[in-house]
Amino acid sequence: MIKLFTRLSCLLIILGVSGCEQQKDPVYHDQFFAFGTLIDISLYGVEQPLAETVCRQIEEDFMDMHASWHAWQPGPLSSLNSHLSALEAGTIEPSILPLLMEAHRLSRLSAGLFNPVMGNLIALWGFHDNALSIGTLPDNAAINEWLAQAPSSNDINIDGTLLSSRNPSVAYDLGGFTKGYAIDHAIERLRAAGIYNAIVNAGGDLRAIGQHGDRPWRIGIRNPRENGILASIEVTGDNSVFTSGDYERFFEVDGKRYHHIIDPRTGFPAMSTTSVTVIHSNAATADAAATALFVAGPDQWWSTAHDMGIRYVMLIDTQGTIHMNPSMQSRIRFEPGINAEISLSAPLQ
Amino acid sequence: MTRADRILILLAVCAMPFLYVHLWFGDEPARFAQIRNGSNSLVIETLQPDRLLHVAGPLGESIIEVRNGRIRFASSPCTTQVCVRSGWLTKAGEFAACLPNRVSLALVGQNPRFDTINF
Repeated sequence: MIKLFTRLSCLLIILGVSGCEQQKDPVYHDQFFAFGTLIDISLYGVEQPLAETVCRQIEEDFMDMHASWHAWQPGPLSSLNSHLSALEAGTIEPSILPLLMEAHRLSRLSAGLFNPVMGNLIALWGFHDNALSIGTLPDNAAINEWLAQAPSSNDINIDGTLLSSRNPSVAYDLGGFTKGYAIDHAIERLRAAGIYNAIVNAGGDLRAIGQHGDRPWRIGIRNPRENGILASIEVTGDNSVFTSGDYERFFEVDGKRYHHIIDPRTGFPAMSTTSVTVIHSNAATADAAATALFVAGPDQWWSTAHDMGIRYVMLIDTQGTIHMNPSMQSRIRFEPGINAEISLSAPLQ
Repeated sequence: MTRADRILILLAVCAMPFLYVHLWFGDEPARFAQIRNGSNSLVIETLQPDRLLHVAGPLGESIIEVRNGRIRFASSPCTTQVCVRSGWLTKAGEFAACLPNRVSLALVGQNPRFDTINF
């Protein structure tokens, strides 16, 4: 009986020690506001002094980038927009040029569905107002005028740091792209500091590198129409997970929702998609692709993903059908009780 | 090996799958909330007792309600009210934010299901 008691005690101690080990969180968490959203950084196995230093550097970087890349508050980009609208050439800081060139490259790959120069159309819809609440529909004539001029990346000529346009409707608005670009920059900053296991999440869009100790990072994908989680994926190595949804910024008129993802072909919000989730190693590419695929909708998402080099896509249409390619299906795990119709596409190469 | 040894080993083996699932994938309730405001100051609040918390932001006061181990934005000076519509947070890892007023809530537990949330 004593032997049994001793052994039972040993077992309980072992289980107890395991329980104690659970309480030591090896992940350093940091949060701050930037780009009009909440930035959340998770670092695995990093000593606190280094983690704090790097996170503050990233916060400063984000503040600087936000100020430089803002399209309608005073700054280099809004100044450039003023020149371009007057059909004058304008110079841009060399540090911003790679951002613009990458935006144009991705826009061309998406056949213009991701359009970085549709700032005037977004302004017509009122989405430049941070405190958007009671929206009003824009004047149809103004939308038609914008559509007639159809500004696109092809209207921009770049000669060194000198940019010019032949279309007065061109106005940069990189809102569908800057978060991704900034996240890529943050990941570079982490790696330069010797940090290889981390997540940088900017308002729900994220890039994860490495893993959580001896297991993958676990990412929950929020249900676009209800509270709670729709599905989850596990990632190791280097993956950006970006979702564009009609629930992020919107207003309602007569019970109809008008969201912020505008189709440059129609001048109106793209109304056949609820959300698009994209996985890609590069966050800027994932960001632009999520926007482009949302606009492409359930009928065109596959060809747009193919053209943009995206291999993992899940699109939920407004009927609730989940469209995805086989590679995405093999990675995603739906929560119990999710019984949506799934439409599986041909493989994306 | 005595009979007692065999019983203990059997008990441990039977407990392992349950403990693994419970400890690593548990959908556990949160133990406390992290609340941040725009100045990036962090306040840790327990989820008991029921009460209202007043958090200052650039637009005014966000009122946070704690009730029955849950937490939510009860009211907000923002115009969008996205934070209020987020509803109750109950599980570790869930969060909500009022971007215009720069106030965020995050529920923290010992072992959240997810390391981060995509949306």
